[in-house]
Amino acid sequence: MEQKLKQEAKSLLEQGKVDWIIGFEPGSLKFTTTPLITKDKNDADRLVINPFIVNNLANFLTEVKGRVGIVAKGCDSRSIVSLIQDNKVVRENVVILGVPCPGIIDLGKVERLVGKDRDELDDIIREGDKVIIKVNGEKKEFPATEALFDNCLACEFPTPQEYDILLGEPKPGALNLAQSRGNIEKLEGLTPEQRWDFWKKELSRCIRCYACRNVCPACFCQRCFVEETEPQWALPVPRWQDNLIFQIVRNIHVAGRCTDCGECERVCPVNIPLRSLTREMYDIVDELFHFKAGMDKDALPLMTHYEQEEAEEFFR
Amino acid sequence: MRQESEWEPKLVGFLCKWCSYAGADLAGTSRRKYPANIRIIKVPCSGRVEPLFLLKALRLGFDGVLVSGCHPGECHYQTGNYRARRRIAITKKFLEWVGVEPQRIQASWVSASEGGKFAEVVADVTRGLKGIGPNQLFSQERKEDGAKAKARG
Repeated sequence: MEQKLKQEAKSLLEQGKVDWIIGFEPGSLKFTTTPLITKDKNDADRLVINPFIVNNLANFLTEVKGRVGIVAKGCDSRSIVSLIQDNKVVRENVVILGVPCPGIIDLGKVERLVGKDRDELDDIIREGDKVIIKVNGEKKEFPATEALFDNCLACEFPTPQEYDILLGEPKPGALNLAQSRGNIEKLEGLTPEQRWDFWKKELSRCIRCYACRNVCPACFCQRCFVEETEPQWALPVPRWQDNLIFQIVRNIHVAGRCTDCGECERVCPVNIPLRSLTREMYDIVDELFHFKAGMDKDALPLMTHYEQEEAEEFFR
Repeated sequence: MRQESEWEPKLVGFLCKWCSYAGADLAGTSRRKYPANIRIIKVPCSGRVEPLFLLKALRLGFDGVLVSGCHPGECHYQTGNYRARRRIAITKKFLEWVGVEPQRIQASWVSASEGGKFAEVVADVTRGLKGIGPNQLFSQERKEDGAKAKARG
């Protein structure tokens, strides 16, 4: 898969079919990757595909000019389609190099599983539905469901929905929906007041670094409402009331665009379980309007169209 | 000295200019009595109402929000209320998930000829708000913390 990607990327650049390639290269730390954005065909050899290609590269699409070849996992491809729906990206200008994704390994979970820091691990290998961790010459096997990101456990479409070149065999979806919704189900058991207090507590840690917003391919407003001063919707200081308004409204704004890629939760420096919000919104949109983000590039964005009969139960 | 009166909920109503605002007007001119708890804001269309308006109202301490517009299919701008419907639906459902009491976010269709319905809706929403008590969602101290805050002075 990786070899094929390098060849395809090289030939795309050589033939001038694209100006840019956006992909992953090995990161500076063990078991990490970092986005590679390049015009140079010799850089194509640095591209990698492994179980650690975590970033949603769709976010960079709106930032580079010209035609772009982009490496996309299942969720990333849906983010790209979502951007196409919103006319932020022109389909003809993108060459999607689709990666059927077996799920991305969460290093935090791996560290907790073996009780060791990632620097002390020799290797992490994904084999079928197992993750093998080599440490001090020992081999430890764990079910993949214990080492993957929560959103990967609920992944319905690991194979890209839209692609020009598919780099591997298509993969079936959903490993374990229940496990990935663990936190959400716990919250569902609470009263509204307890839930509010839960979010109040969690979001009082927020430092308003806006990493969740900046990493999100669906959050593409030129000017975010939290930065508006006339009127001022939410103060730019990290007070829990304003943090909560920021997160609630952010989620409402990305409804119908959010593909549950889990990037917001991953980048949060204070580990706020943001995916419990985004996933719930994803499910609400699906339940009310039978709409899943980024499935069909010709479909209209969720909030710009309507059905004659829907959602009447909310109105008197 | 004035006795401390019983708590009355404060309700903010976003009424569309073409139907619900005229409906409220009709309720007045036909001498229909409805609770004075509602503070009405005229908007050009229910489609003008952003989720931010609702959040801001709750943040400012209003106990409830009512969004009201023309019946589906009767929008002055053809599609405004259909769009509002989608937006209000996800906002209401999502806010309930985060922990806002469902009674606080209300929506209705009231046409210009439905003064009676408007009075009923406002009465009903106010009753619901009285049932759940004041909005303490964004207040610093809630119930159990109240005593502590008082002790601090």
